[in-house]
Amino acid sequence: MKNMLRVVYSSCLLQMKQSFSRSMFRFSIIIYPILFAWTMYLIYEGQDNSMLVSYVMLGTAVATMWGSISFSSAGDIDRERFMGALEVIFCCPARFSTIMMGKVIGNTILGFFSMVLSFAFVIIFLKVRFTVANPLYFCLSVVIGMISLVMVAMLLSALLAISRSTRVIMNSMEYPVLIFCGTVFPIDILPVWTRPLSFTLSPTYILKLCRESIEGISDFGVFYTYLLGLITVTLIYYILYKWFYTVIDIKARKEATLEVV
Amino acid sequence: MSIIEVIDLKRDYHTDLGILKREKKTVNALNGISFSVEKGEIFGLLGPNGAGKTSTIKILTTLLAPTAGQATVLGYKCFGEEKKLRKKINFIFGGERSLYWRLSAWDNLSYFCDLYSVDEKIKKKRIEKLLELVGLSDKAHYKVETFSKGMKQRLQIARGMVNDPEVLFLDEPTIGLDPSGAKTLRDIIRLLSREGKTILLTTHYMHEADELCNRIAVIDKGRIIALDEPCKLKAFMNETTLEDAYLKMIVGE
Repeated sequence: MKNMLRVVYSSCLLQMKQSFSRSMFRFSIIIYPILFAWTMYLIYEGQDNSMLVSYVMLGTAVATMWGSISFSSAGDIDRERFMGALEVIFCCPARFSTIMMGKVIGNTILGFFSMVLSFAFVIIFLKVRFTVANPLYFCLSVVIGMISLVMVAMLLSALLAISRSTRVIMNSMEYPVLIFCGTVFPIDILPVWTRPLSFTLSPTYILKLCRESIEGISDFGVFYTYLLGLITVTLIYYILYKWFYTVIDIKARKEATLEVV
Repeated sequence: MSIIEVIDLKRDYHTDLGILKREKKTVNALNGISFSVEKGEIFGLLGPNGAGKTSTIKILTTLLAPTAGQATVLGYKCFGEEKKLRKKINFIFGGERSLYWRLSAWDNLSYFCDLYSVDEKIKKKRIEKLLELVGLSDKAHYKVETFSKGMKQRLQIARGMVNDPEVLFLDEPTIGLDPSGAKTLRDIIRLLSREGKTILLTTHYMHEADELCNRIAVIDKGRIIALDEPCKLKAFMNETTLEDAYLKMIVGE
């Protein structure tokens, strides 16, 4: 257990040092959220404060968190593969999933920093009032939401380790979240047939829970249903990631997918 | 008991050809090779590109699954008992990869020490010793991206030694190095051998194999075509240099 925690800590630290040394990453976690928030503000300017909080603040927060956790985790697998480090970390005594967990947590911490930065920008420069009606439920939603995004990133990292089409998967991940999860507009305006897809993605629940707890929970039954939904999809992601990691341990070595071809 | 035991080892790669009409193609990288390596030996694998040298090393280092046959290192199966084996071995692939370029040499070694569960009490001393061994003590806190190719390869050697492995696999460790850098690496390999490490290496440089290896296996098209001590291989082919003997075996010159 002690060794496992050491590997998680060490991988997390390495991830943050590595990511922060890349100018592209610094842009993604510092400049991009500000530009995204500003764009959203210009779209929603003139609307009431609750719409600004919902789509400018929360939309930016989820988009940047998603970008940092999932997008970066995917990019990392690709970078590790091209650097030849994927093979080295795959066959060291520490479990590959433990190493990846550390890296994903590293991205989560940076993503959280990015989220706080975007909040600060919106409050200070765009003068959007940010008050939370149910702070306890808001914190609970954020914590479970973060855990859920970590599970998504773990699931994706497993998929990317056995696939060489890393960049394709990586680039096709961003827009479904922006479109189907209510990040930049309400999902109610989408065709009904897209709803099942929306509710398989945890950002949908995270946004609904955060919005409810910020505005004030009017119906706790609905709030708990969304919370249960978020916990359920998170558990499904967890089961799938655990299963995928057992599969890739054999599949990656049988199909030689760890190297660059 | 031999440290490395390979019996009738086979490895196939499957690829898809074509875009609309997909056609499966199988490449036989290893066609049933057998050899064994004894404790403290420097064993060389020679052969042309695509002969199966890297596939052999990757199977022995638990990176690839064999299609058929047996491969054991230190008595553990390379596919099936990898958890027990990984602590006791390490590998170094030639070139500048397998390192985190944006981190310092020290950070790289420290990270790999953690992945190999090196005791915190001995970690610092071991990193210092390894950096001294590869002549990078004064560059410990410089980013790897500022290193020359030779320095990166020396750091790779240090990375491969973080867990004080009993068996070390080296895949073309001196590729692309200048003569002085290559000599430094050969000196390190000899030193490691004197310390009792078992070393399996592949190389395209015949003088290097002749100078370092106790025994050599020549692989061609996934089969071992010769296996003996360098002097015996030369005598058998009636040549004075290993390069001439090798060329005679491979291209019949």
